[in-house]
Amino acid sequence: MPKKILIVEDDTFLQGLASTKLTKEGFAVTVASNGDDGAKAVDESTPDLVLLDLVLPGTDGYGVLKKIRENLKTHDIPVIVFSNLAQEADIKKAKDLGANDFMIKSNFTLDELAEKIKGILKI
Amino acid sequence: MTTDQTPEQRIAELTQENEQLRQQNSIKSDWISISAHQLRTSLSAIKWILKMFTDGDFGKLTPEQEGFMKKAFDSNERMLVIVNDMLSMSSIEETIIDYTFTSHNIVSLIDTVLFDFTSESYKKGVEVIFLKPDVAIPDIAIDLEKIRVVLQNLVENAIKYTDKGGRIVVSVSKNEKDMVEIRVKDTGIGIPQFEQEKIFEKFYRATNAKTIHAVGTGLGLFTTKAIVERHGGTMWFESIEGEGTTFFFTLPLSR
Repeated sequence: MPKKILIVEDDTFLQGLASTKLTKEGFAVTVASNGDDGAKAVDESTPDLVLLDLVLPGTDGYGVLKKIRENLKTHDIPVIVFSNLAQEADIKKAKDLGANDFMIKSNFTLDELAEKIKGILKI
Repeated sequence: MTTDQTPEQRIAELTQENEQLRQQNSIKSDWISISAHQLRTSLSAIKWILKMFTDGDFGKLTPEQEGFMKKAFDSNERMLVIVNDMLSMSSIEETIIDYTFTSHNIVSLIDTVLFDFTSESYKKGVEVIFLKPDVAIPDIAIDLEKIRVVLQNLVENAIKYTDKGGRIVVSVSKNEKDMVEIRVKDTGIGIPQFEQEKIFEKFYRATNAKTIHAVGTGLGLFTTKAIVERHGGTMWFESIEGEGTTFFFTLPLSR
């Protein structure tokens, strides 16, 4: 069974690229384009890992992360925050809310992202 | 100013002008910050695609195609460095008035900053040593994030401009003027004598720095010195070309 990854990202271009790369790496990828759909999808499909953008229409990434951690059904799901917000305060806030990792999009390539995901899922 | 103004009127006028300037500066900073974020998102997409091409995700490339894709990737990386510097510059300018001083332990801050550079110094083959003070240093009032930027800039520069096998020594002590003095000493390329007085100028980059390391905006040291001075400290350096540089800065123990 391929591991399920949910990508919550409003930029359709970035979303498409990440989805293509992670599918090639053997993951079963689903996507959501705003915070509310993202939070709903996590609850309904309980993915193995969530890749979460911070700047999102509707509920932002922090809000989605908070919902994931407060929901008993989803609170153990690893979440990688993947954003171009990079101030110390943003990173701290995400970590405090329970993000497993914080990756600045422009600092990483998608193969490095895939490696990181495999590390967290112990594949 | 007209001569028939009372001092009170003059003060009111200046206060209003000052408020207008502050608003204009804040609009400018917001604009830089928003466009830099947008740029970073686009540059991320370019970076990801180019890497997928060179990794063969879209089929095998000829050596020539691969070579050009790698050049495009490097070029994009340089652009990212500049955009990132632009972002940190705008946040510095925006908050030049807006400092929050809280009490912190400088030794543990240095520890955290150096820890973040562990893999970078290891990759470069440069040894980083922290000589901790013999006597405890009391907590000092600083804007934590800004002093973190100061330390990051100095350590990053030291690693960047020091060759493999070199050594960086960070030390801290209390001096006789009731100031904490922090030193970052490297065995790097040094700053040429004729350029030493310009090194803290905005956008200035030493000629040997440009040759060795193409990427940089010349904002790092300018920003660093501005932050230290805003804390009531001073910043200076000693350098011999080809032997190394030591950057010093002080922070007041009490404010």
